[in-house]
Amino acid sequence: MKTDPRAVKTGVYYIDGDVAAGLGALAAGCTFIGGYPITPSTEAAEAFARVAPSAGAMFIQMEDELGSIASIIGAAWAGVKSMTITSGPGYSLMMENIGLGAMLETPFVLLNIQRAGPSTGVPTKTGQADMMQSRWGSHGDYELIAIAPDSPQEMFDYTIKAFNLAERYRCPVMIMSDECVGHMTEKVVIPRAEEIEIEPRRFYTGLPDEYLPFKPDADLVPKMVKAGDGYNLYITGLIHDERGYPVKNEEFKSAYVRRLVDKIRLNKDKIIEIKEEGISGAEVIVVSYGISSRVAVRGIERAREKGIKVGNLRLVTVWPFPDEKICELAKTIKAFVVPEINYGQIVYEVDRCSHGKANVVLVPHGGSGVHNPDDIFDAIVYAAKQEGKIEGVVEYKTKLEKSIFGGGNKLKK
Amino acid sequence: MNSIVTAFAKGIEKSGVKPSMICVPSDIPFEPEVVDFLGVDFFHTTRGRAIPFGTGLKLGNPALKVVPFIGDMMTLGGNHFVHGSRRNMELLVICINNFVYKKIGGQSVPKTAPAFSPYSTFDEPFNIPHLGNSCGALYTARWTALHIDELANSIAEALNKRGMSMIEILAPGPNYYTDIKHIESNVLNFYYENSVIKNNEDPRNVEITPEKKIVVGKFTDKERPTFLETYNTQLSSVLGDKFIPYGCVPPQNKSGGRNGGD
Repeated sequence: MKTDPRAVKTGVYYIDGDVAAGLGALAAGCTFIGGYPITPSTEAAEAFARVAPSAGAMFIQMEDELGSIASIIGAAWAGVKSMTITSGPGYSLMMENIGLGAMLETPFVLLNIQRAGPSTGVPTKTGQADMMQSRWGSHGDYELIAIAPDSPQEMFDYTIKAFNLAERYRCPVMIMSDECVGHMTEKVVIPRAEEIEIEPRRFYTGLPDEYLPFKPDADLVPKMVKAGDGYNLYITGLIHDERGYPVKNEEFKSAYVRRLVDKIRLNKDKIIEIKEEGISGAEVIVVSYGISSRVAVRGIERAREKGIKVGNLRLVTVWPFPDEKICELAKTIKAFVVPEINYGQIVYEVDRCSHGKANVVLVPHGGSGVHNPDDIFDAIVYAAKQEGKIEGVVEYKTKLEKSIFGGGNKLKK
Repeated sequence: MNSIVTAFAKGIEKSGVKPSMICVPSDIPFEPEVVDFLGVDFFHTTRGRAIPFGTGLKLGNPALKVVPFIGDMMTLGGNHFVHGSRRNMELLVICINNFVYKKIGGQSVPKTAPAFSPYSTFDEPFNIPHLGNSCGALYTARWTALHIDELANSIAEALNKRGMSMIEILAPGPNYYTDIKHIESNVLNFYYENSVIKNNEDPRNVEITPEKKIVVGKFTDKERPTFLETYNTQLSSVLGDKFIPYGCVPPQNKSGGRNGGD
């Protein structure tokens, strides 16, 4: 389906990532944003709020993040595409209803422009330490999709993709961007409406009396209807059967939660997008996402100048995690180097999937800034030099950390 | 509970609103499973969030009539209630006040009047109609669950009210402490017999205390533009022809259904 031309601000722009995401949401057919956006995510809401009234869309400033996310789930059930925008502290407040969204199988998009944490942290500076929260933040078992754009152009493109994935798999989709990408100003090309493909909501079209709101199709995703269409909906955050009615027994509980996670896990191949370059024949592979992948490029270039065979693997989709891909690569290489702006989150996923077949080197960063590419280069050189197997994740101390704490690189399990 | 649903059904019938256009978001403590038989759409959401969830439903499709039934309204939902009233969001909030957290053994809540806790409580309960009224809700009323006809009339009026309406209903939960204070075990009757109807009473005077009779009635019924009306007026005056009024065209996507869309 093509998008509504009123919602597409076709042109070539020089804008930041936040603004690009706001315009991307509109282009994707989003007509409702309920938000309480905080630094560094506010520009995305401002951009949307500025253009929404002339495109039949609305931005509403809610009373808090709890209300914001509740309102977009309500709006999604009323039949529109909806989104909310936030950063660290607000993201924590939204965890409650992310679980509700997953449980009610509600399509919506959440844009998280990550900032340096924990707590209030450094509101105006970057961080990538919400990655595990995006996967496990709400209680109980559920699966959702998270993507990490690395440029303003991607903020536009992948916001559209996020909406498409949310509609396709009827689940919340997180855009896990960061302050650097959000505030980075670059050229962004917004194509014409007819070039933008959007996924319409997969509405039920059968006999009204036979509709079951949680009866899955073959791909495990149920069809949706909207409130007010006379289906006498009964939608609850309790474990429910296909009709939506609460059930308590073990069989139902297992069957329902199994499908909730399987609808993402079994469709993983269709969901996951990774970008790879120079992988074949590599001895070291740098695995990165978001802003760290932009910085890693320079480190990789320098290592290649030194004759080290380095591959570049960029996770565009972070959740679901590309387990098999990492597992396969681990058999053929010496080590993975994982730069991320935290003290180890995705690196442990890489370690889990490499099953001890390759060394895993973390290049940590405390936030408030990005890596110096030299640190990534040094870590690649270090990883390429290691002959034996090192158990567990090795933390490669950056120049910044050495200058603060002194000393050389200690191996840390 | 049965009597509230009876009153709700009567109210819907009287209001002339099509049940299929009514959405009932509720929160965890309050599970009006029975409303399922009324032909409305029911959403059982997270604690205290029925008002913002309902705000989303209403703004997602302004043709819907949204009636949040809330149990945790003055605790987790307090801020949402205050802001819903301020915004004049077109919702009919039904606040079931049973003075305790009935599902988890009966701890005291901010609505608890001193008589309803074994050693009394140490803080003042909310005067909910006064709070709603002072924050901007247009319509405020309070009834006990036995004032079925009066309650049904209020529901019918409020369903056709353009703006935020709020009805507090005094209803008993399994109240473990009633015997301690020598209140009859039939709390429902207790409320009914200890209440006095005072329509148009100033909501400032309707606080519930053990010393006074419980004041019930329709307290306020005001007029002012709703959130959506203000939004559309304001933006069309600023943006002129460029503005596409929100909610005047139904959402692009339709799911068909018994109503054939809307």
